[in-house]
Amino acid sequence: MAHARPIATTRSATGIPTPRLAVWWILASEVVIFGGLLGAYIMHRIGHPEWAEAASHTQTWIGAVNTFVLLTSSFTAVLAHQAAEKGNGKEAAKLLGFTIIGALTFLMIKSYEWTTEIIAGYTITANTFWSFYYTAAGLHALHVIAGAIIMGFIAVDAYRGRELHRVEIIGIYWHFVDVVWIFLFPLLYIAK
Amino acid sequence: MSENNEHHDGHGHDDGHHVNYKKIYFILLGLFVISVVGPELGIRWVTLITAFGIAVVKARLVINNFMHLAWEKRIMKWMLATSVLLMFLMVAGVAPDVMNHEGNNWENLAAKAEVERGLAYAAGYSSDEGEDEAEPEVVVAAGFSAATSYGQICATCHGAGGAGDGIAGAALDPPPANFTDPAFWADPARDRDRVITVIRDGAAAVGGSALMAPWGALYTEEQLEQVADYVMSFRPDA
Repeated sequence: MAHARPIATTRSATGIPTPRLAVWWILASEVVIFGGLLGAYIMHRIGHPEWAEAASHTQTWIGAVNTFVLLTSSFTAVLAHQAAEKGNGKEAAKLLGFTIIGALTFLMIKSYEWTTEIIAGYTITANTFWSFYYTAAGLHALHVIAGAIIMGFIAVDAYRGRELHRVEIIGIYWHFVDVVWIFLFPLLYIAK
Repeated sequence: MSENNEHHDGHGHDDGHHVNYKKIYFILLGLFVISVVGPELGIRWVTLITAFGIAVVKARLVINNFMHLAWEKRIMKWMLATSVLLMFLMVAGVAPDVMNHEGNNWENLAAKAEVERGLAYAAGYSSDEGEDEAEPEVVVAAGFSAATSYGQICATCHGAGGAGDGIAGAALDPPPANFTDPAFWADPARDRDRVITVIRDGAAAVGGSALMAPWGALYTEEQLEQVADYVMSFRPDA
């Protein structure tokens, strides 16, 4: 090692590398955040039969396209990890680039979707269903934005062959964002 | 590079499992297609299995193969399991209150009223079914309808049929007026102007119960007249 690193980044009592332990800790807290939100949504949905009418106005095909986009971006993210494992930083950076494109595509589709809904009068204050809809999908979208930005930094480093282990870390986070959407999709779009 | 290798190989995590990512990806896509097509059949249990059952399978595939949790140290799984457990604990703790609107010794009037209002709204709304594209505009352009407005606001206490049997009215004392009762209209003072005044300013304005709140802020004068006419249409001799 050419320069000293803080001890906390290299030692590991659990046998798990600290960065990976850290991202799993973040995800453990995210489980409670998204789980609480989606749990509350499911309970209200069951208690309020009138939500079915509101839910029938979500645009299934847009949600479906976005599911495909996120699944694919998860695939490129895991391929980036594979490339990084082999020490191929340039390839990893390229694949992270594809993942970022996936994130941007997702956000553009989401913007279009929300625009049409808001114009049609389905705003966050329209009723409780739409409040949940915008809160859950909005919180998820914030995670997509954050992930894309962090991925950008990591891709630049990876391209220069630096800090390749971070490709896996951002990948784990990104797959989690994908998993959240895997549940959001049927909850908000399919259950009508 | 040696630094990165250290991170990867030093802990023995990445050795010994070689996932065929492409295969997993295509399985995920296949499951995704089923989860979209299945619910189209419109059969309830097929929808539940294809939408939510498959979501769980997809999530497992991603978590195990893409996030490599399957190869992660056991303590990590326990940590995540704790989070999931706490989440379910929270849900289980509040579920009886959220999913039901009444119990042995309690009743959630606001939630019941909300359900009734929403259903009345949905009923008045889905009359033009089968025109998905056109529906969003309806919301914006919807003109005023005394019947719809009655269904959304007045019916909560006065009942959809005007018999004073609305869900939120059950607990009120004095009970909400029953517009279908001839005795109610026997008082000659209860003419159209009086009904308009009560809707606009509340019953207290004419010496009645303050539980009949003023709704004037919601309506124009013309709309007030329409709602009053609608209320008076419940009159047995009307």
